[in-house]
Amino acid sequence: MSSLLVRNFGTHGDKVSALGLGGHHLGDAENEQTAIQIVHEAVDGGITFFDNCWEYNRGKSENWMGKGLKGRRDRVFLMTKVCTHGRDASLATQMLEESLRRLQTDHLDLWQIHGVCFDNDPELFIRPNGAAEALDRAKQQGKVRYVGFTGHKDPTIHLKMLATGFPFDAVQMPLNAFDATFHSFETQVLPELNRRGIGALGMKPFSGRGDPLKNGLLTPDEALRYAMSLPVVTTITGMDKLDVLHQNLQIAQDFQPMTLEEMEALRQRCRPVAADGRFEHYKVSLQFDNPEARMAHGFPLDAQQREVKEMLKEGENTGSPFPEMKS
Amino acid sequence: MSQGSLQDSWNMNRREFMKGAAIATAGALIGSENKAQASDQPVRPTSASQAEVGRVPQKPLGKTGINVSALGVGGYHLGTAKSQQEATEIVARALDAGVNFFDNAWEYHEGESETRLGNALQGKRDQAILMTKVCTHGRGKEVGLRMLEESLHRLKTDHLDVWQIHEVVYYNDPDLVFTPGGVAEALLLAKQQGKVRFIGFTGHKDPAIHLRMLAHDFPFDTVQMPLNCFDATFRSFETQVLPEVNRHGIAALGMKSLGGSGEMVTSGMITPEEGVRYAMSLPVATTISGMDSLTVLEQNLEIVRKFKPMEAAEMDALRERCRTFAADGRYERFKTTKFYDGDLGRQQHGYPTAKELPF
Repeated sequence: MSSLLVRNFGTHGDKVSALGLGGHHLGDAENEQTAIQIVHEAVDGGITFFDNCWEYNRGKSENWMGKGLKGRRDRVFLMTKVCTHGRDASLATQMLEESLRRLQTDHLDLWQIHGVCFDNDPELFIRPNGAAEALDRAKQQGKVRYVGFTGHKDPTIHLKMLATGFPFDAVQMPLNAFDATFHSFETQVLPELNRRGIGALGMKPFSGRGDPLKNGLLTPDEALRYAMSLPVVTTITGMDKLDVLHQNLQIAQDFQPMTLEEMEALRQRCRPVAADGRFEHYKVSLQFDNPEARMAHGFPLDAQQREVKEMLKEGENTGSPFPEMKS
Repeated sequence: MSQGSLQDSWNMNRREFMKGAAIATAGALIGSENKAQASDQPVRPTSASQAEVGRVPQKPLGKTGINVSALGVGGYHLGTAKSQQEATEIVARALDAGVNFFDNAWEYHEGESETRLGNALQGKRDQAILMTKVCTHGRGKEVGLRMLEESLHRLKTDHLDVWQIHEVVYYNDPDLVFTPGGVAEALLLAKQQGKVRFIGFTGHKDPAIHLRMLAHDFPFDTVQMPLNCFDATFRSFETQVLPEVNRHGIAALGMKSLGGSGEMVTSGMITPEEGVRYAMSLPVATTISGMDSLTVLEQNLEIVRKFKPMEAAEMDALRERCRTFAADGRYERFKTTKFYDGDLGRQQHGYPTAKELPF
C-alpha cells in the first residue's frame, strides 16, 4: 500500500493528509462501533485531517469521533465548527467547551465558523460581540490553534467574509467538477485564498450526496481526483461505511494529479447539467442548511429533511436545536 | 408592414375598450404619462386625486398603448379559491370595481386556474386585459405553441393580451429560451399570428437572471418580477431590474408584494396596506396580487381605492424598517429557497419534486 499524500498547512509547520474524513457522515454510520472502526482504519490508512461540527447529528458525530480518536488524538489534525449562525460570541464559547468535551480533547487544531450561507452572515460575524471575538479569544487562550470558516452557498458570501479583514487561517468550500462552471468557488474564491496564503479546504467532491455517481455521470475516481488536483490543502469527504472509506483511501493512495487537459474535459462534460445547479443543491436550496442555521435565520424546517429528522430523534433534546443558555 | 396594421387594429380595440370602461379622466392621463416615458422618465404612479375617486387607478402598460388597472388579479389563487363559483364572483367583483388585469399560467393547478378564469370571463372577455404564461421551462417553440392553444381553449378566447414565459428562475433558462428553436421563437410567431398582442417573461429568483434575459435585446413588452419593501435591500429587482425595464419602456409587472404567501404580514413586520401601497408606489404598470376569496379582494380594493402613492421619505423609512430582516431573505423565500419553484420546472431541470425538496 502506497502512503497518503500530505500537504503543508498554516504557519506552524503542520502537515495534513490530502484526504480528510468528514464528520457528518461519521454520525450516519450504522452504529458507534462502526464509526470507531472507520476512525481507526482512516488513521491507519494515513488520514490525519478530521472534520466535524458542533451541530452534526446533535453531537453524535463529535461524540463518536472523540471515542474513535481516544489514544490517537496526537496523530491527527482535528477540526470542528461552531454554529452561531449570526448569534453571539458567548454562545460560540459555550459550543467550543461542549465540542472539546465531546471530542475528549483540550484543544482543537482548527475551529471554524460553520455554514456561512446567508447573505448577512459576514456582517453578523464581524459585529461587536459577534463570533469573530470568540475565535480570537479561543486562539489567545490556546484552545484552538487555527481559525477559519466554511459555507456551501455562494462565492460572493465567502468573498464578503474575506473582506471583513479577519485573519482566517483556513476557508472551506465545495469544490468539484460541477462547481467549476456554476457559481464557482473554484474560480472566484480559491485563487483569492491561494493569493493570501490561507489554507483552502475542499469539500463535496461527490456533490454532497453522491448524486453524480448514482447517475453514472462520474466515477468516484474521476470526482475525487478532480477535487484533489485543485490547489487545496485537503479534500474532505464523508464516509459512513467502511467500504466507502476503503474506496476513497485507494483512490487517494494511488493519486496522480489530473493534467490540465483532463480537468478541462471533465468540466466540459459536466457543464450542461452544472448550469442549473441540479447537482449542487447546497447552492440553490435549503437542503444542506442545518436546523440550527435555519432557525437562527428565521427559515422554516421541513420535517422530512434528514438533518431535521436526526435532530428530532436524538434522545435528550426537546425539539429546539438551541443549546441551553446559562444566563 | 403587417405588424403595423395589426397594431392599428389593437389601438382601435383599445379605444373601444376605453369607451366601454367609461374612465372619464384616463385619456388625459395616458397622454401625459406616455410623454413622460418617451423622455426616459419612469412612469409615476397615479394618485387618487388625479383619478376618479373610488375607482381603481389605471396606468399605461409600457409602450403598448393599452391601460391596465394598478391592481391585477393573480391567477394561481383563483385555483386555490374554494370553488368555481367563488372564483367567478371574485372575477366579476374585480371587473365591477375597475380591475381589468388578469394573470394566469398554463401550469397553475394543472389548468384549473385557467379553466376557472375562462369560465368567469364568459361574456366579459372584452373587459379584461388577459395574461397567461407558457411553461416550457427550457423546452422549445413547439411545446410552447401547443401550450398556447391549450391556454386559449381553457380561457375560452381566441387571443391573449399578454403571453409571458413563466418562471425564468434557473440560471441557464436565458440560454435555453434563446437557443435556436427555443420558446422565444414561439412568442414572436404567436404575436405575428395575432394570437397574442404582447409578450414578456416572469421570474422570482434573481435579478441577475432577469438582466441576462434583457441582455438579449428581445422585444419584450412586459417583464414581471417580485417587488416589495424587503426586495428593495436584498437581491433587489427594484434597484437592478426595474430601472432597466423603465428605461426601455417595457411594462413592469410587480408581484409578491407581501412575500408570496403573506409572510411579511403574518410575521408582523408590515401591514397589508403598507405592503401593497409600497409596491404600488413603484414605477410599475400593475401590482399582481393573489386573491382566493372575496374577503381578500375587498381588502385589496379598499387599499387601492384610497391609494395615494407613498412619498419618497415614507418609502425609505419602510425600507429601513425592513432592512435587518430583509438581509437574509427569510421573508422572500422565492429568492432563497425552492418553495416557490413549481414541479414542472423542477422536472425539466432535473430537480426533486416540491414534496421531496420543499425548501
